[in-house]
Amino acid sequence: MKDHELQDWIDGSFNGVATDAELELLEERLLHDEVARKHYLNEANLHASLRRRFSAGEARLSLLLDPPNVGRLSFSRRKVVVGLAVAASVALIASFFDRYVAKSPPTAVIAHVIGAYDEDGATYEAGDTVSPGVFKISRGVARLDFSSGARVSVEGPAQVEVIDEMKVILNQGVVTATIPEPAVGFIIDTPTAHVVDLGTSFGVSVDTAGLTDVYVFDGEVEVSSRDGRKAGAVGKLLREGEAVRTDGKSTPIDTLAYDVSPFEATWPVNSGVLQTTGSMRFVTPGPNFHPGNYVDNKHIVVFPERRGFIPAEPTHVDMVDPGRYERRRNEELPVLLPEQRLTSYLLQLNAFPEGEKPNRRRSVRGQITFAKPIVGVVMANRLLKKSEEVFGIPGVEYPGARMIEPRPEGDQGRGFDSVILAADRRTLLIELQENPGNLDQFRVLVEAE
Amino acid sequence: MWRVYNPMFDQVPDSSRYEEFVSLYVRHEPAVFSFVLSMVRNTADAEDVVQRASITMWRCFDQYESGTNFRNWAFQVAKNMALNHLTKQRRDRHVFGEKLIELLAVQAEEEADHLDARRRALDSCLEKLPEEEHVMVAGCYAEGSSIRSFAEEAGESANKIYKRLNRVRRQLHRCIERQLGLEEAIG
Repeated sequence: MKDHELQDWIDGSFNGVATDAELELLEERLLHDEVARKHYLNEANLHASLRRRFSAGEARLSLLLDPPNVGRLSFSRRKVVVGLAVAASVALIASFFDRYVAKSPPTAVIAHVIGAYDEDGATYEAGDTVSPGVFKISRGVARLDFSSGARVSVEGPAQVEVIDEMKVILNQGVVTATIPEPAVGFIIDTPTAHVVDLGTSFGVSVDTAGLTDVYVFDGEVEVSSRDGRKAGAVGKLLREGEAVRTDGKSTPIDTLAYDVSPFEATWPVNSGVLQTTGSMRFVTPGPNFHPGNYVDNKHIVVFPERRGFIPAEPTHVDMVDPGRYERRRNEELPVLLPEQRLTSYLLQLNAFPEGEKPNRRRSVRGQITFAKPIVGVVMANRLLKKSEEVFGIPGVEYPGARMIEPRPEGDQGRGFDSVILAADRRTLLIELQENPGNLDQFRVLVEAE
Repeated sequence: MWRVYNPMFDQVPDSSRYEEFVSLYVRHEPAVFSFVLSMVRNTADAEDVVQRASITMWRCFDQYESGTNFRNWAFQVAKNMALNHLTKQRRDRHVFGEKLIELLAVQAEEEADHLDARRRALDSCLEKLPEEEHVMVAGCYAEGSSIRSFAEEAGESANKIYKRLNRVRRQLHRCIERQLGLEEAIG
C-alpha cells in the first residue's frame, strides 16, 4: 500500500494540495528511496511536458525576443543580436566552413539533427561530416546533405552505409530522400531491394527482417527486388502516390496501400521544417493532396508549397520582424524585393464543426521551427490571395475567405489569434482560436535551402 | 513608406556567441524546466526560476566551455537558482531541503536522456486520448488556468477533475512506457 501513498503525495505535491505533513513524508521517502525518486522525476517530467505542450509559454521566450543587455558589451548594438536561435544554427556555420574551406568536400554533411544519438549514446551535431562507411543512429533524426545535392533524412534506429555521394545502403531504418536535378540517379540499396531515383522525393524503410517498403511522394523512382535484379528483370517504375513492398524474392513486387505515417519524422526535416510541437502537424504529401481537400480540425497543418523560387515582383507581407503579429495599415506593409529564392508553406486550422459539441471553441497551440530564416509572413486575406498566385501550388483551388484575428491594441479580451515570430527568425509560436466554420490560414515565406 | 527587409544586412558575425547560446538553450530548456519543477513543484514558480536562470546562464555564458555538456552546466545554474527560491519560501511553508535537492540533481542528470525520450513519446500518446480528456488536460495545463478554473468552466467539482486528471496522467505514463518498450512498475 506504500506506493499508493507515495503516488498520492506526489500528485498532491504537484497540484498544490499536499499538506506540510504530507510533503515532509514525501521528502523523507525520496531521501531514502532511489526508485521512488526516479518515479518522482518521471512525474515532474510529465507535469512539465504537459505544461510546455499546452501553454504558449511566452515568458520563457522573452529572452529570445529581447536578449538582456546587462553585463555584455556585445549587446551595445541591439541590431547585432537578431539572433538565430534553434538547434543547429551554429553548427550550420561550421558546415559551411567545411564545405567551402576544407580542401576536398566531404561526401556528406549532417545539416540538421533532432535529438540524434549514435550507438554509444553520443549526440550527433549539425556540421559533423560523414565519410564513406557505416553511419549508425540509435534514435532521433539526422539529415545528411550529400555533396551531390541529395538530401537524406535518417530516423533512428537505423544503419546506413555511405558508399559515395550518389549511393547508400540502408540496412535498417527509415529514410526520406529528396533528390534535386544534379543528383538524379541517386541509389538506395537495401538487403532486399535496389532503388534508383529519377528526380524526386521518396521514402524507404527497412525492418529488422530486411523487408523493404518504398513510397514515392513526388516524381518517379525505379525499384527492383534483390532476386529480380539478379535475374536481370526490369525494375518497377513507381510514381507519386505509389508504394511497394519487397522481401527480396517476390517478383513482381507487391503494391502497398499509400500510408506515409512511417515518414512523419523524416519528411519535414527534408522539407526544411526542423521541428513541430504542440498541435502542429506537417503534412506528408500524397496523391491529390492540397489545402482544399485536407481534413483535420484538431491540428494546425503545414503544407509545403513552391520551393526555391524567386518571385517576379515585390511581395507584400504582413510581418517580417520578430515579435507578435499585429494588424497594420496598408501603407505600412513591409515588402520583399524579388531578389531572394524563397520557399513557401501554408499553415491551416480548419475548424469544421463535428461530433457531439459542434460549437465548442478552444484554442489550438503549436510551435514550428524552420531550417532557414523566415523572411515574411502573409496573414491578410487580400495578401494571401495575391501571394497564392505566386507561391501557391499550381492547379490547386485555394479557399475563399480566411481570417487570422490578432488582439487589437488595448483589448484585454480572450479569443484572439496569436502568432509570434521568435528572435531566431525560424520559430513561430502559434495559438489559434477554433471558431466553428472558420478557416484560419496564413503563409510563411522562408529563405530557400 | 514601405519598409524593405533584407536579412543579409541585419545579421553581423559577432552575434554568433548569442546564436550558440540560444541554440543550446532552446534545445535543453524543456529538460531544465522539468528539473526545476521537480525541485520547486509548482509550475508558475518553476517558470519564474527558469526565466531567471536563463538570464544568469547568458550572463555567465563565458564560463561555459563550448563542446562540453551544456545541459549539466545549465542544471547547475538552475539548481542554485531553485535553492535561492526555496530558501525564501521556507519561511511560509515546507519545502524540500538541500540534501534532497542534491540527490534530485544527481539523478536528474543521470536520467536526463531517458526523460528526454519520455517527453518525445508524449505527443503521440496525447493524440490517442479521447477528445474529452484531451480538452481537460489542455484546459488544466493552459497558461493562467488551473484545475479549479477549468472545473468551474466545465461545471464540475474541482475534486472530480483532480481525480480524473490523475487518472489520465497514469494512462499517459503507461502509454509512454509502452512506446519506449519499458515495463516499468508504477505504484
